[in-house]
Amino acid sequence: MSRLLLKFEGAVLKEIPLGTRPVTIGRAPDNDIPIDNLAVSNYHARVYVEAGSLVVEDLNSLNGSFLNDIRVERAMLKDGDAILIGKHHILVDQAHDAALPVDGWRKAPAPRVNETMVLDTRERREMFEQAVAAGERSQLSPERLLVPTLIVLRGRTDEKEYRLSGKLTVIGRSDMATVRLRGWFTPNLAAQINKHEDGYYLGRGDLVPKVNGVEIGALTKLKDGDVIEVGRVRLNFLYRE
Amino acid sequence: MRIEAGARTDLGRVRKNNEDCYEVQPTLNLYVLSDGMGGEAHGEVASALAVQTIMTHIQQAENSHSTPTFGEPQPDVSERTNRLASAIHLANRKVFEMASANAGHKGMGATIVAAWIEGQKLSLAHVGDSRAYLLRAGSLDQLTADHSLVAEKVRIGILTPQEADASELQSVLTRAVGTKEDVDVDADEQMLLVGDSLLLCSDGLSRMVTDPEIASTLLTSTSAQNAADRLVDLANENGGVDNISVIVLRILPNSESVLDRLKIWKRNSG
Repeated sequence: MSRLLLKFEGAVLKEIPLGTRPVTIGRAPDNDIPIDNLAVSNYHARVYVEAGSLVVEDLNSLNGSFLNDIRVERAMLKDGDAILIGKHHILVDQAHDAALPVDGWRKAPAPRVNETMVLDTRERREMFEQAVAAGERSQLSPERLLVPTLIVLRGRTDEKEYRLSGKLTVIGRSDMATVRLRGWFTPNLAAQINKHEDGYYLGRGDLVPKVNGVEIGALTKLKDGDVIEVGRVRLNFLYRE
Repeated sequence: MRIEAGARTDLGRVRKNNEDCYEVQPTLNLYVLSDGMGGEAHGEVASALAVQTIMTHIQQAENSHSTPTFGEPQPDVSERTNRLASAIHLANRKVFEMASANAGHKGMGATIVAAWIEGQKLSLAHVGDSRAYLLRAGSLDQLTADHSLVAEKVRIGILTPQEADASELQSVLTRAVGTKEDVDVDADEQMLLVGDSLLLCSDGLSRMVTDPEIASTLLTSTSAQNAADRLVDLANENGGVDNISVIVLRILPNSESVLDRLKIWKRNSG
């Protein structure tokens, strides 16, 4: 059976069997081959069978589709052809059924099953990070650096406002707390906020905090404007410029 | 609070040699686990050297504040957490030097996950796909993000977690200790609570045992060592295709503290 292989830097990301329906390629998630990269148009190209031949057609994409390094609008495909879209290659595989092609990063002789290996990573990682950063930028408004901030709405604390600069923010009576609470029965560690890749998460300490009036269960991702209650203290979580 | 530690490493049921390595150092409250790689039986050289380097560096730093640091300090974590990252940078350098100096050692490397605890504060650092999990109030969270090709794709959104679990490329790492002159180390911190369980493990566990199985094993074990043994047994029952290593830490109340017990009781009944 014919199939397409989606490859990125030599690694096969996905195999797509070819049937009677056209296979669409693009950045939008409803494509048969979604590629989350800003260099790829929402509906970038498609591959389909016409009069017994396999055809690739560029759908007026911004950055083009390349067949064996030549920009094409529409072209017939044969086994072994490589379509380049953004940084991803799509390989036409009509001959082989099971065996994957040998990938560049796989060192001959073939490794033992499941043997761990490391990719040559720096460029790959930078590319990944750019892709992620680009994705994030397109979601947030650009050019504004937003600083997560806690503003004290009620209760006894050492400051009125806290900018969250670390990965860990401790709320409690402890000396090492960022948000230092006062009061006799306040625990040293009342609650904590952890910075993750995708945002800030509130977790319990010796108290179970509330977010917008509801007690949190497991870690809870904080949204702009959330009101946090820890004991008698009430804090507003804001992303500020 | 006090810490009860249990640990075990196992060949698994398929591999011929164990390339994993761990060390538990209760006086320093330092716990390090490593999964070596690089065929020709040098994976275990890399993991052992990495673990040993980290233990020694932290011990030296505890003895003398003038101990040099390695790698760029990260501004958003504490000095202590940066010290742990520094130890991994040094381990990277040592393994890389050994691999470069020795034709037979070429390509060797290792993952690292390291936990260092002071009071209630956990410093955590890792490279590769060895993981740290935290079980708190019945729910299990993975504290580390794998440096593997499939995990990075899931984070970018070009692969679903289901596709990642089924992928043939699970063993492809994007970072490891000792394969390059420099390595990026992920460092994080967390406040521990009485009643928590912390698990450090190699992918021989996390690929064989599901998160719910891990959670229920940690919850129902009689001791940290019992939990470590049962997790390794589970991984073997489920196939044991790779070496399996685990370190389990249970955060317990000081036995005399009625207050701590009350807090756990409140947390678990809440």
